Amino acid sequence: MQNPFHIDPQQAFNEIAIFQRKLAAGLQNLRGLGEQDYANTPREAVYREDKLTVWHMKGNNKPTARVPVLVVYALVNTVWMTDLQEDRSLVRNLLEQGEDVYLVDWGYPDGADRWLTLDDYLNGYLDRAVDAICQRHGLEAINLLGICQGGTFSLCYTAMHPEKVKNLVTMVTPVDFRTPDNMLSHWVQSMDVDLFVDTLGNIPAELMNWVYLMLKPLRLNQQKYVSMVDILDNPAELKNFLRMERWIFDSPDQAGEAFREFIKAFFQQNRLIKGDLQIGKQPVDLGMVTQPVLNIYATQDHLVPPDASRALQRHVGTTDYTELAFKGGHIGIYVSGRAQREVAPSIHQWLRARS
Amino acid sequence: MHDQANDFMKDYQAFAQQSWDAWMRYLQQQQPGQPNPFGMGMGMGAGAMPQNDLLMRSLASLQAYGNWLQQAAAGTGLGQQSNPWQQPAAMQSFLSAFTQPFQQAVAGIDSASAFGMEHQWQAWLQAMQQAGMAAGMPNSQMATFGITREFQLDQQALQAAMQEYAQINARYQALLQKVNAQGIARLQEMLGKHDEPGKQVESLKALYDLWVDAMEDAYAEMALSEEYRDVFGALVNAQMQVRKLQQQHTEQVCRELGIPTRSEVNSLGKRVQQLRRELKASGHAESTADASLVDSLQAEIASLKHELAASKAAKVHPIERKSKSENSKTPSQRTKATRSAAGKRK
Repeated sequence: MQNPFHIDPQQAFNEIAIFQRKLAAGLQNLRGLGEQDYANTPREAVYREDKLTVWHMKGNNKPTARVPVLVVYALVNTVWMTDLQEDRSLVRNLLEQGEDVYLVDWGYPDGADRWLTLDDYLNGYLDRAVDAICQRHGLEAINLLGICQGGTFSLCYTAMHPEKVKNLVTMVTPVDFRTPDNMLSHWVQSMDVDLFVDTLGNIPAELMNWVYLMLKPLRLNQQKYVSMVDILDNPAELKNFLRMERWIFDSPDQAGEAFREFIKAFFQQNRLIKGDLQIGKQPVDLGMVTQPVLNIYATQDHLVPPDASRALQRHVGTTDYTELAFKGGHIGIYVSGRAQREVAPSIHQWLRARS
Repeated sequence: MHDQANDFMKDYQAFAQQSWDAWMRYLQQQQPGQPNPFGMGMGMGAGAMPQNDLLMRSLASLQAYGNWLQQAAAGTGLGQQSNPWQQPAAMQSFLSAFTQPFQQAVAGIDSASAFGMEHQWQAWLQAMQQAGMAAGMPNSQMATFGITREFQLDQQALQAAMQEYAQINARYQALLQKVNAQGIARLQEMLGKHDEPGKQVESLKALYDLWVDAMEDAYAEMALSEEYRDVFGALVNAQMQVRKLQQQHTEQVCRELGIPTRSEVNSLGKRVQQLRRELKASGHAESTADASLVDSLQAEIASLKHELAASKAAKVHPIERKSKSENSKTPSQRTKATRSAAGKRK
């Protein structure tokens, strides 16, 4: 092999010197930056129960949409990814389009929530949240926008309570949990989930974070911070970075029983698409989802592979099914510049056509 | 010429050290409780851990990168006139410098809740020893008897579980070592595509990014293999078994001291949750029953009103006929008046 390197010693020396200078400048910029705010869109709590809060998001103008949309986020991480900062906010963008937006904020489970089941979450909390919004608007049904695991929940909820959902939007939502490229799913197949939950009780957020970092250990635990040095001299970019860091590690613990059910029924047994899923005493049949469905997935999603989401088309009962491929990753679908231009306007247009 | 290379490395190492020292000086000046700019590790018992340890862990990735640069600078033969790539095994020698960083990066991602259990175990074992419980753990094959029989059994089970975990962890580490080897092979392939003028790697950062790509590719392939799935699952299960036995031991001690145990709290929590479910369900059933009762009563009233109106419209009561005004009307006029009254009632 010929020499694959053409690294001039002086140039390399300069490279290291620049790195050093950026680090030094970074010290000054980091000083006093503190915790970065997020979730700044004005909002009002319209329903609370235990740790759950339903927020009504306030835009600059009155909504033009007659039917509100309820954003159902996953139990992992927090819903504030949808409202990270003013110029990177799915929520703000939807409000500007004229949508009337509500968010489900599941809160941070503690020992008192150890025994919450999926039935408690879906047929309990979520159902009562939907009822509260229906009552506020004098409607029988509202629109749901489910994200990631929250999309799976929204599908289950719609299948169990079809009369309460007018239109359903799913974003980066796993439906087929056993696609060959699903690393998370692969890892839990040999796990004894009963022993896991019986031992840990609620699943600590740190453990969840560890698992996510281990999906790409070098990129997420090292390369990312090396790249951060490049933006240490740019306060605005640095704030964005720190804001994202805050969101990534601001994770709730997982209620033990719900986690047990989810891993077993969805990841290990793939019951959602096998058609034998039951939540509480209610069967969950995706064939019952006859509402219009917009399914948005990210083509470079390392957490929910595109095939895991696209499987929905084969199992859902609706004849009005639309798929939108977003060129980006699991997080970029909310915060990237492309997302701001493409995602919210697409959702709004799709909903408006079905209002 | 050789001196030139040495000078470069000397300068580089001075830079790296200077950089690291500057960070540490800055961060050590921070008061405890001030926000950590990297946001890592704040939830894992920060109060119990030395501040410097947290900071070191936060900055571990940058330190690792610094080490990497040092290895890369040495490996690429910077400052040397002779081309090491023309010598046999030069590439292998260069690549072997990257064996450790991947494993170090993975090992660096630990926490008390995840797989950084060894620290916990060491502390636990030390505590056991200080409590006079161990001149070594009991042999798991030893027959047990006497008043401490149950305790000995528990200890044997814990020892067996720890040994099991250690064995599986060794298998897991061996897989990561394989990732190293496969990643290096991949990097070699990638570098092979860069050996033409114009395509060569021109900076240490570009080389670093290439190395990350190679390692991540190799890791992803391994992480999706059946072997990894089985070892990872076994590792999780083994760790949970150890934790479970530790908890049982702790509970035993708590019971003896009259301290409520986690099992008892769990038992109470389970009952409370069940009661809450029943309460919600009965509340829902009551409100549903109330609503249907109101609906049926309203329907009944409406029906009765309708019947009443219909019967009034159909019948002409004798007492009304006696009325002068009524009697003076023609039959058709009387019918119209009755209809009109019925309409008003509606």
